[in-house]
Amino acid sequence: MAAVSFSACAGEALLLGLATGPVCLASCGAVVLPWMLVQPQGLRAHGRQLLLFLAARLAGYLVFAAAVWWLGSTMARAWGGRSWILGVTELLLCVALLAYAAGWPHARCLVAGNAKELVQLGAAPKPRRMGAVALGFLTGINLCPPFLVAGVRVAQLGSLGAALLFFTCFFAGTAIWFAPFLSLGLVRRTPEFIFVGRLAAILLACWYGLSGVFTLVERTVYG
Amino acid sequence: MASVTAPAVQKPAFRSVGRSLLLTLPMALWAMVMFTPALRQPGRDGHIGAAAVAVFMTVLFYMMMRTGTTYRWRRIFFVALGFLFPVGFIASLIAVRGTMSIPIERMISGDTPYCFMVTPMVIVPAALFRTLIFPGSILPTPSNPHSIAAMIGLWLAVSLVVGKAWCSYGCFFGGIEEGFAAVAKRARLRRFVLHWGSRLRLTPWAILIFIVVLSAALMEPVYCAWLCPFKTITEYPAVRDVETAIQMAIFIMLFAGLVVALPFLTKKRTQCAFFCPFGAFQSLFNKINLFEIRFDREKCVDCTLCQTECPTIALSKESIREGKTLLNCMKCGACVDACKKDAAVWHIKGTRVGVKPERARLLFLYGGWAMATMFGGSILANSVTTMLGFLPWK
Repeated sequence: MAAVSFSACAGEALLLGLATGPVCLASCGAVVLPWMLVQPQGLRAHGRQLLLFLAARLAGYLVFAAAVWWLGSTMARAWGGRSWILGVTELLLCVALLAYAAGWPHARCLVAGNAKELVQLGAAPKPRRMGAVALGFLTGINLCPPFLVAGVRVAQLGSLGAALLFFTCFFAGTAIWFAPFLSLGLVRRTPEFIFVGRLAAILLACWYGLSGVFTLVERTVYG
Repeated sequence: MASVTAPAVQKPAFRSVGRSLLLTLPMALWAMVMFTPALRQPGRDGHIGAAAVAVFMTVLFYMMMRTGTTYRWRRIFFVALGFLFPVGFIASLIAVRGTMSIPIERMISGDTPYCFMVTPMVIVPAALFRTLIFPGSILPTPSNPHSIAAMIGLWLAVSLVVGKAWCSYGCFFGGIEEGFAAVAKRARLRRFVLHWGSRLRLTPWAILIFIVVLSAALMEPVYCAWLCPFKTITEYPAVRDVETAIQMAIFIMLFAGLVVALPFLTKKRTQCAFFCPFGAFQSLFNKINLFEIRFDREKCVDCTLCQTECPTIALSKESIREGKTLLNCMKCGACVDACKKDAAVWHIKGTRVGVKPERARLLFLYGGWAMATMFGGSILANSVTTMLGFLPWK
């Protein structure tokens, strides 16, 4: 592909990412918000975790881009396996959110005193980078509508390089919309705050679990 | 501004009849203004309903002035509102539609009356996509007079004036559980409240986050579709498949558990305290509202009677020690009325705690009761009129 085509491809992907970013924000916000609420306080810590999350999300995007380019546009449009991916991804998101809600918070979040029972829902607290990576990757391969639009476009591209470039630029356009989540780092972390974040993560995990099961059952029953 | 405890001021136990009448006069005039349009409409039932409710609201306010207490008189109105609202609402649904259930095609055409509970869920999608995810109409239509614009405007104005007191003076759903909580003579699950109350009171915030992010992701009001206990007694989706059957089962279970059984067993408003995401959202208005309940630490003997009496678990030992209520205080007045030492007082932010608390109460009540008369009173009048139409000799 010529250099001009690459820049046109990158520009198109960036614009597509920027335009559909609110949809990405809305669909991934269900995972990002409760997860960010149980992060330790501070912009730097939040920035580090968000970068890890976004890096893993980019990895998910690139895996998907390569798969779509390899399988052709049928995967994004009518491939029956899409519901399998969606169902399994949702179940994995459920597991990741539950593990996160049970195993967090970071040691700094623990405020000893009269409300300490609030933060003893699960195992002994320890920092987990894997949580950010797992959640980022799983949301990266979650087949939301803008993602499928990008997938259809990628399937029409001539080379694997162009497909990866397209999804990288698409990712950059959507990632900008995640910047407001950084502001959560400024909010003071109290045991009550962390408890609410964990409970919200558990509720969302339950929803993802149910949704995943229903998607898989529907796929099995109706084909 | 830091509050400094002032010298003790005795709360008047009773006012004279004349003074009480004088203080009630503005509210009586307000009730007249509110119900005069109904008196101009044709139909004797409507006249009787409007007049009866105007008198009812005025008498209750007079009793508040005369006795110096708030909670029990407010509760009479609030329980009446809770139990009569479904009567008028269901009757109007059946008159317009022939059934309480709403088929999906009518829902899509915007015939669903807007409920204030939806408000937190519509904000994010409206901001991101300029889309209202509720299937109502922005402006009133002949088939749906409860428009989105009117309801949001009314709710916002009221919330700015009285804060979370909306939940104890305006929310018709809360009245139902307060009624069931009032039925039992004593709390049978007292230990449950003591043990779980402090943790479960945070649950509405988690549910609020859950419904807000999920509503934005799915572009539908998740709470209304899956979690609203009050669908059971208002308007529910027509049961046509497995999904709507599951939805209906969830509504009924939540209503039976949180609105009927637990309030009866605990004497608390359990749905409001442990579940309602709108209540959590409404708590934020307590931050910017002028009125609050405070505790005069010089008078307080830490008997925790106020904590026991609070129907929504808005007090903890720590908060009382700090002289404050928790953020979810609904300003129902139960703690103030229960306090034998006059330590719990009505307070206006920026003034000294304990200085003229009765004046703070009066100022709050004029706003709160005016809202109750305008919003709840019109609902009551409608329901009374509907009930008069069902009388056997008619």
